[in-house]
Amino acid sequence: MSKFFNGIRSWGSRPGTIGVLILGLLLGVVFFGSVGSFMVYANSEKFCATSCHEMGELALEHKDTIHDTNRTGVRATCNDCHVPHGYIPNYLAKFSLWRDYWGHFVTHSIDTKEKFEAKRYELAKKVWVYMKENDSRECRHCHTTAKMDPDKQSAKAKARHERLRTENITCVDCHFGIAHTEPDGPGPQEIQAAVVAK
Amino acid sequence: MPKRVIATVRRMASRKRAIVVLFVGFAMGIVALSLFGTSMIYTGTEAFCATNCHEMADNNTLEYRDTIHDKNRTGVRAICSDCHVPHSPVPLYIAKMGALNDLWSHHVTHAVDTKDKFNAARPDMATRVWTYMKGNDSRECRFCHNEAKMDPTKQSPVAQARHAKAKKEKMTCIDCHYGIAHTVPEGPGPQEIEVDKSFIPRSAIF
Repeated sequence: MSKFFNGIRSWGSRPGTIGVLILGLLLGVVFFGSVGSFMVYANSEKFCATSCHEMGELALEHKDTIHDTNRTGVRATCNDCHVPHGYIPNYLAKFSLWRDYWGHFVTHSIDTKEKFEAKRYELAKKVWVYMKENDSRECRHCHTTAKMDPDKQSAKAKARHERLRTENITCVDCHFGIAHTEPDGPGPQEIQAAVVAK
Repeated sequence: MPKRVIATVRRMASRKRAIVVLFVGFAMGIVALSLFGTSMIYTGTEAFCATNCHEMADNNTLEYRDTIHDKNRTGVRAICSDCHVPHSPVPLYIAKMGALNDLWSHHVTHAVDTKDKFNAARPDMATRVWTYMKGNDSRECRFCHNEAKMDPTKQSPVAQARHAKAKKEKMTCIDCHYGIAHTVPEGPGPQEIEVDKSFIPRSAIF
């Protein structure tokens, strides 16, 4: 062990070592800063909504829905609903985007309107299952249940929200097809998710 | 000079140990930036801002409770930092430096440590925030409230008319929407405050 420390000491005493250390430090800061900035950029509406024509179509559906235009102008853009907000889940989600590149450049799986419509149910179902499994985590990032004022909701909403608390269902079970065209086929309530978190 | 620098770098790179040192530095850089970023996020949370000192907890936080930005129909909220801390990196860092003033007041001058002192200082503090917001055209409001995405037809007729008028008169959010999260002090409101618009105000940058 003392040999190890002597080794470090002998390195440190060489002129230039501190310089190399500081150079490495700067490189590390620049590298990680770039990663972080890229994560932010890759979550922006500018990037998500317009970078590929496949998404461009989805962005058009989102336009003028309640999460785009509303009374107060407080919005939810693509990433608010579809990308996790915690660090690690965010990074994992970004890594799995290689699929989008694969689909866009290699298999051209949804590059026409017809292909997209043909796959719409499958795509929607994937999102619904994901949201059911994590108890609509992305919804809840903005919508804090504890801070909802039932008295400001319609009588219908109030009653239904009350019911959902006892029936163990989650946001997306009712609030689906609110930002994109709803496909034919069974909705979220008919889908059995692997885990339904409370 | 550049030749000498390149020669030095090449000489250092030829040593195997230099590579190791470079990587250690690299790792330290990543850790340092993560800690920095995490502390920036943590010091912007409600858990930190609203409860850490009694000056905030006993006054501002209590006043904010159950206002529209805390509790509403949809549960979409704005917490302390959403209105009072810039959202882009550099202005954010500068604002955090400015918060050293809060530490100074809390630990050394005890500027607002009692209810009476707080209320006495309230007009000054409110005026400072209003001036800041007027100076940067209510930038923090607009971070969440996207004017282009407001639907006037979903607003009340009064709101519709006033927003149209405000746009014409070059007013900003805070001119009308003040005292919405904290108690309004006595004295002139934001509309009575003159903000120098002859040059880019300091608050527009920071």
